[in-house]
Amino acid sequence: MSRSPIFFFLLAASLAWFSMKHSVNRPPTPDAGEDQEKEPTFREIINIKLIESGEKERLMELLRERLIECGWKDEMKAHCRTLIKKKGRNNVTLDELVHFITPKGRASIPDSIKAELLQRIRSFLVSAAQ
Amino acid sequence: MSGPNDDNHTELSSYFFEDLLDSVIVDIASECHRIARLGLDHNLDEEEEELRLSEEACARVADPSYNGEMNSKYVVDIFGQAHPPVATEIFECMNCGRSVMAGKFAPHLEKCMGKGRKARLKMTRSSTAAQSRHSRGSPVSAYSPYSNSTSAHRLANGSPAAGEPYSNGTSEEP
Repeated sequence: MSRSPIFFFLLAASLAWFSMKHSVNRPPTPDAGEDQEKEPTFREIINIKLIESGEKERLMELLRERLIECGWKDEMKAHCRTLIKKKGRNNVTLDELVHFITPKGRASIPDSIKAELLQRIRSFLVSAAQ
Repeated sequence: MSGPNDDNHTELSSYFFEDLLDSVIVDIASECHRIARLGLDHNLDEEEEELRLSEEACARVADPSYNGEMNSKYVVDIFGQAHPPVATEIFECMNCGRSVMAGKFAPHLEKCMGKGRKARLKMTRSSTAAQSRHSRGSPVSAYSPYSNSTSAHRLANGSPAAGEPYSNGTSEEP
């Protein structure tokens, strides 16, 4: 019987320590040196406008369609296959695949498609900035 | 049309374009990754592709016959071998021991094993001869391929085996 108060004391102490460590009333952690802007940037505003108006979705569909038409998608899939064959199909991660094809993908975009998309984005920017 | 704004717009446009392009690239990578992991790409294995291509090449090498398959008498397979429409290999029938041609084996078996019409009549004639005396009159005579002289001769003699197809059924001779 003489041990039980000590036991309960230890238990209470550990609980108190635990709750102090993970208190829900803990003050917010200060930013670790990151510039936290309270105001959204112009870029962010435009992004939100793009998404909310549905224009981003339309642009995505347009880009996908153009890239399939010109065979760019097939080239990219073939490029993927070279990596898959090299590494073995069960050893490839999505991350590896993305990093593998991104440089070639960006470089092999036909100029006409790039110009078309840029033109559309720009006209949206002009109308959105007003 | 302010200059700095234009530059800003150009830069921003490029930014958004890159954003869209990256999304498309991730989609494509994701699709390829899924197909690879699930093993849905049947052309992935080099050897398989080689076999498939060589088969196609074989078919194309025999090109005259590839298109002329329908025209020539014999069907040509991918190795260029021609086969006659009726199989010509000769072997021994396991029922009667006669040598038959493979393409004519089925009709031979019909006669041989008693599945066909004529063979059945032959069997009934020899096994149930007594019963067939009165019942088999004119219908049977219509089937007889053999010379009617013998059957006519029999009829004239009042033979009960009138019109039976096989004249070598000796039990009926009076």
